[in-house]
Amino acid sequence: MRKVSIWEVLFIPLFFFLIIFPILAILGNVTVEGMTLTFGDPVFWIAVRNTLITAFLAALLGVLLALGFGYFYIFHPGTVMYRIADFMNDLPIALPHTVAGLALLLAFGRNVMGFVGPTGLAFTLVAVILAMFFVSYPLAARTIASAAEEIDKELISVARKLGDSPPKAYRRGVIPLLDEAIFSAFVLGFSRSLSEFAAVIMFGGNVPGMTQVLASYVFTKVEEGEVSMAVTASAFCILLSLLLVLVLRMRGWSHARSAQSA
Amino acid sequence: MLEVHNLHKAFGDHLVLNGVSLDINPGEIQVLIGLNGCGKTTLQRVLTGILKPDQGSVHIDGQDVTPFPPEDRMIGYVPQNTGLFRHLTIKENILYPLRNGRGSEDKFREAVNLLSLEQYLDWKPDKLSGGYRARVALARALVSSPRVMLLDEPITEVDRAKKEYVLPLFRDVLLQLHIPVLYITHDPWEAGR
Repeated sequence: MRKVSIWEVLFIPLFFFLIIFPILAILGNVTVEGMTLTFGDPVFWIAVRNTLITAFLAALLGVLLALGFGYFYIFHPGTVMYRIADFMNDLPIALPHTVAGLALLLAFGRNVMGFVGPTGLAFTLVAVILAMFFVSYPLAARTIASAAEEIDKELISVARKLGDSPPKAYRRGVIPLLDEAIFSAFVLGFSRSLSEFAAVIMFGGNVPGMTQVLASYVFTKVEEGEVSMAVTASAFCILLSLLLVLVLRMRGWSHARSAQSA
Repeated sequence: MLEVHNLHKAFGDHLVLNGVSLDINPGEIQVLIGLNGCGKTTLQRVLTGILKPDQGSVHIDGQDVTPFPPEDRMIGYVPQNTGLFRHLTIKENILYPLRNGRGSEDKFREAVNLLSLEQYLDWKPDKLSGGYRARVALARALVSSPRVMLLDEPITEVDRAKKEYVLPLFRDVLLQLHIPVLYITHDPWEAGR
């Protein structure tokens, strides 16, 4: 008989109790009434649309900036700019997201950006995108930088000797090799953006039908005492997240298979 | 002509190049042989502009290229691991310099014929053997219209039996270029050929 280690004894029950059980608690509390009310609520669908569009754009912006960081990482790792960017990458992870939201509000609110509207960029969908981007970008940057680290530096040197300037060598020789990392960075950024609440509510607000996203919709429904609707919207979020994880895993499997057959 | 004068390069306290000088005439192949870690790759990197020397200069056809970045030196380069882009086909790899205004379709056809690569043009590099990958890397360097050719252990991946065929082929192709060629290796047998 196989000897069970202390790690298994600790891990299996704790994992199921602390991670799986809360997820099941949501799914197990979904009711037909809650589904009817939620799926019949046009504000819910606007929140879904807002969430998908803003998370998509935040992830896209995150990947774009992460590729810029990757360029510094490869070509200018000794510069002050790179060191500042590298240090700041970890800051949004450690920062409470309410603080991140407040920082964005002060930076892009009416005091600084008052010329674009009465509240500056605050309480608009642009604010929601910026809040999601602020908290998801470090994940994208770390993903791209890790992949860039794996690239054979000789390839970049070869591209330069064949006449490429550094930006051209990056575009032609490096970015195509980062395809997997770009995809992962996008999906991770998208997932992180989907789940963001604090920074979004501080800077983007929670205006139903305007800047409300799924996370803030759930919060509002709990506040209003509409628990069945909050549970349904939460279950919807869980399924969306599971779908994303599945996409990421399937991409990983197909990549491993193609690497094996090569 | 390639003229290298009194190159010095140190990393911290470790002096790697200590007054290296050499002259290579057009049509001449010089072989630089040395053990791993003796500074061959550092010399290659200084010659191609990836590293700046602490002292000394590099002249190509009388022009001081020491301050030039790698892309402006017009040095054909074949690296140790062939440096082929795995996301590109063999044809796209060989044609790579054309997008920078270097070489021509005629040079491409000539290099492909010389190195017998016609039937592999649509392949990806990872489908080729080490010997053929080295040929592709040489073809790409030929197409780039180099003023100097630099080969840094270009057939390390190739086994001895195949080297017997590949080395004379490389030598014949390189001699036809009538430019200075520097061949770097750690293998005395390879240098002798």
